[in-house]
Amino acid sequence: MSEVATVAIGWGLTFVVIATYSFWVVSRGRTIGRELGIGEVQQSGQEQESDLSTDT
Amino acid sequence: MPESMDDSKMTATPLTRVLGILGIVAGVLMAVLGLFISPPDVVQGEAVRMLYLHVPSIWIAYGSFVLTSISSLLFLVRSRRREDGGRHYDRIAGSAAEVGVVFTGLTLITGMLWGKVTWGTYWQWDARLTTTVLLFVTYLGYLALRRLPADPIVRGRRAAVMALISFINVPIVHYSVDWWRTLHQKASLSVGRRPEITGEMYWTLLYSALTVTIVGAWLIVHRYRVIRLEEIRDEENLKMLISSRRHERPTGSAADGEVS
Amino acid sequence: MDLTPRHEVEETEDVRQLIHRRRRWAILAISVVLIAALAFVTAQGLRNATLFFRNVDEAIDQRADLGTSRFRIQGRVIPSSVQGEAGVTTFQIVHECAVAAVRHTGDPPELFESPWIPVVLEGRWVEGESKTVAGADSHYFRSDRMLVKHTNEYASANEGRVSEKPPAGFLDDCSFEVPVDSS
Repeated sequence: MSEVATVAIGWGLTFVVIATYSFWVVSRGRTIGRELGIGEVQQSGQEQESDLSTDT
Repeated sequence: MPESMDDSKMTATPLTRVLGILGIVAGVLMAVLGLFISPPDVVQGEAVRMLYLHVPSIWIAYGSFVLTSISSLLFLVRSRRREDGGRHYDRIAGSAAEVGVVFTGLTLITGMLWGKVTWGTYWQWDARLTTTVLLFVTYLGYLALRRLPADPIVRGRRAAVMALISFINVPIVHYSVDWWRTLHQKASLSVGRRPEITGEMYWTLLYSALTVTIVGAWLIVHRYRVIRLEEIRDEENLKMLISSRRHERPTGSAADGEVS
Repeated sequence: MDLTPRHEVEETEDVRQLIHRRRRWAILAISVVLIAALAFVTAQGLRNATLFFRNVDEAIDQRADLGTSRFRIQGRVIPSSVQGEAGVTTFQIVHECAVAAVRHTGDPPELFESPWIPVVLEGRWVEGESKTVAGADSHYFRSDRMLVKHTNEYASANEGRVSEKPPAGFLDDCSFEVPVDSS
């Protein structure tokens, strides 16, 4: 495998892995949020978690 | 909540949205710098461009595992005192560890590809490679432990202990190239040593590290929020189960103890 | 205490516990696999990692003990010594002023071309007259696996070509001279 091909595969793979993982995290958040109904999420979030919690 | 609720707000805040956009812009610029602007190496040629992925990835992994360890320690200390059991720290530990595992995996993949073109082999069981794969596997084990069903505080304590044990390997991975003979080269940058790396490459490496840090931070914050959402969902389910029982048998209170 | 049966709820409870139990088994199984993988990796590591290679000077000192056993040797390639023909490359490697003649079978990695590149070779000592820059030797190293051990030094290719000279100080204390590569 040539140097250029290796670099292309390496960079491509890295960006794809990070993008896929990011997408998975965000979509999992959405799915659970939808199950709960976002209003409830915000309420509970405010009650118990202030520093890093969901959007208010 | 109105029908047209904005899904994208689910785990985002204005701050993380800025962080996310910054990460994307920085990532694009990192690709431009790393792939086109920075020069090829005098010995390695184009293959040197793997440096900007490989090295920042493991730095972020180290950083994540440091965060996991500190949070685990805080959780162990606070889980006795606080009313919520200090679960905040348990969540940080879990989300940072997962991001750390992702970046350790990326380090291994980019390293193998880089090794193939420079060393002439994808893999050798030298001290650095062996300890790194060990790091990957132990933190995978940590993540598995976190999924074992148990009381949240008990599970958190178990996980915290394992996180602290797993962390012992981090300095071993880092210093393996100094302590043992390895095929792997020495550390790219270390304190008190002049970097053996030309200006443009040096700055591209540092810039890449900054970019990966932004992306890593964004991921950890979002992962934290997802863990929190999962907890809320579990609590809601529990409440619903209990209330359904109460509804059925209004006088009862025995149900509370059974469900956990 | 009210002990009237609550069929519906109990059923869901059973299902829940069943799922719970199955999940626990799955996770236990995964843990076992992970621990097995860990043990394998550790064993591999202990066997190979601590002494990944011997430097040329050590390999020569330990020649009697090593006999015909297989090991890895590390040294820098002397550029002027490299000769290749029909899948066999001969060259000399040097470390701490100790020089070994090498006969390598197989295609060397691309970076082998780079002057004074450190390499790790897998093979064994073979009895046979050989000549190196340090003088005559009774053995040479027969290798069939070459790994290029690149360093952590990086420099822009735009700023000049590869230096033909050995790294600063590398051969300073040696009693022999290394002929400069004419090519």
